[in-house]
Amino acid sequence: MTSRRSGHQDGVSSPQSPSSSSATEPDFDRIYRDYVDLIYRFAHRLCGESEAARDIVQETFLNAYRGFKDFRGDAQLSTWLYTIASHACMRMRRKRKGQPERELSLEEFIPTSDGEFQLQVPVEGLSPEQALQNKELRRMLDHAIGRLPPKYRMVLVLRDMEGLSAKEVGSIMRLNERAVKSRLHRARLFVRKELSAKGLTQQSTGKTHTD
Amino acid sequence: MSSRISAQPGTHDPIHHDHGKQHCLKVLQKLSAYLDEELTGDICAEIRSHLGACPNCEVFLDSLRQTIALCRHHQPHLLSAADRATIRRHILKSVPPA
Repeated sequence: MTSRRSGHQDGVSSPQSPSSSSATEPDFDRIYRDYVDLIYRFAHRLCGESEAARDIVQETFLNAYRGFKDFRGDAQLSTWLYTIASHACMRMRRKRKGQPERELSLEEFIPTSDGEFQLQVPVEGLSPEQALQNKELRRMLDHAIGRLPPKYRMVLVLRDMEGLSAKEVGSIMRLNERAVKSRLHRARLFVRKELSAKGLTQQSTGKTHTD
Repeated sequence: MSSRISAQPGTHDPIHHDHGKQHCLKVLQKLSAYLDEELTGDICAEIRSHLGACPNCEVFLDSLRQTIALCRHHQPHLLSAADRATIRRHILKSVPPA
């Protein structure tokens, strides 16, 4: 019998009928209410668009409802839902044309010209929240994340945006922590490079560069 | 990590450094682990020593730190109440009652 924890850390009580293969409607409603915003946020960060994110949310909670028996009490419910959502996202990606999967090598992240060591949009002295009030910076950041090869994007989103530990990311993606950290480092370097590409701000805004 | 995005170091000549690129690459490999405080004291000291001697790497590290801070504070997209209700309805319609 699958063990389930009671009153687990995610703040959702144990299901009422542990022998059933799917959740009861009250169980489902509780899980849905508590986690739908989290999964939508995650899905939107992964796929970058609202319609696809809504589809992923629907598939995730439908699969969670049907497969509640598979939930193991030794994992957090949120981790289980992230796992289902990440699989839903991968299935969707296979059907659609997105960024191709490719390996990122460290060598490609060494700046090659003066000026590409720092970010093109000045952020020094600002809090991240203040910096992100700049619409152009937000757009550049979204663009950079969207251009990441999918397996790197997944790690960056889970670790740096959703705030999960390397161990949790490893459990969701079935990777060891070393592989998670390696992918995360490359993903961060990729985004940094995109945000520091010389001429990026002029190209995207049409403004004259002033340095 | 500091709540403020750190200031960059002073001006420097980014083209000329007095050591090989391989050393920079070796440091670059460890920068996330350095920022995530996963390295031992002696490796951290080695990296700090390199950063002190290589303004390019120091600026690079700062920009990486800023990038991570921006990702961590990325504004999420929110699901509307109407969409939340619609998706719930669709799911319950797809699942036969127990």
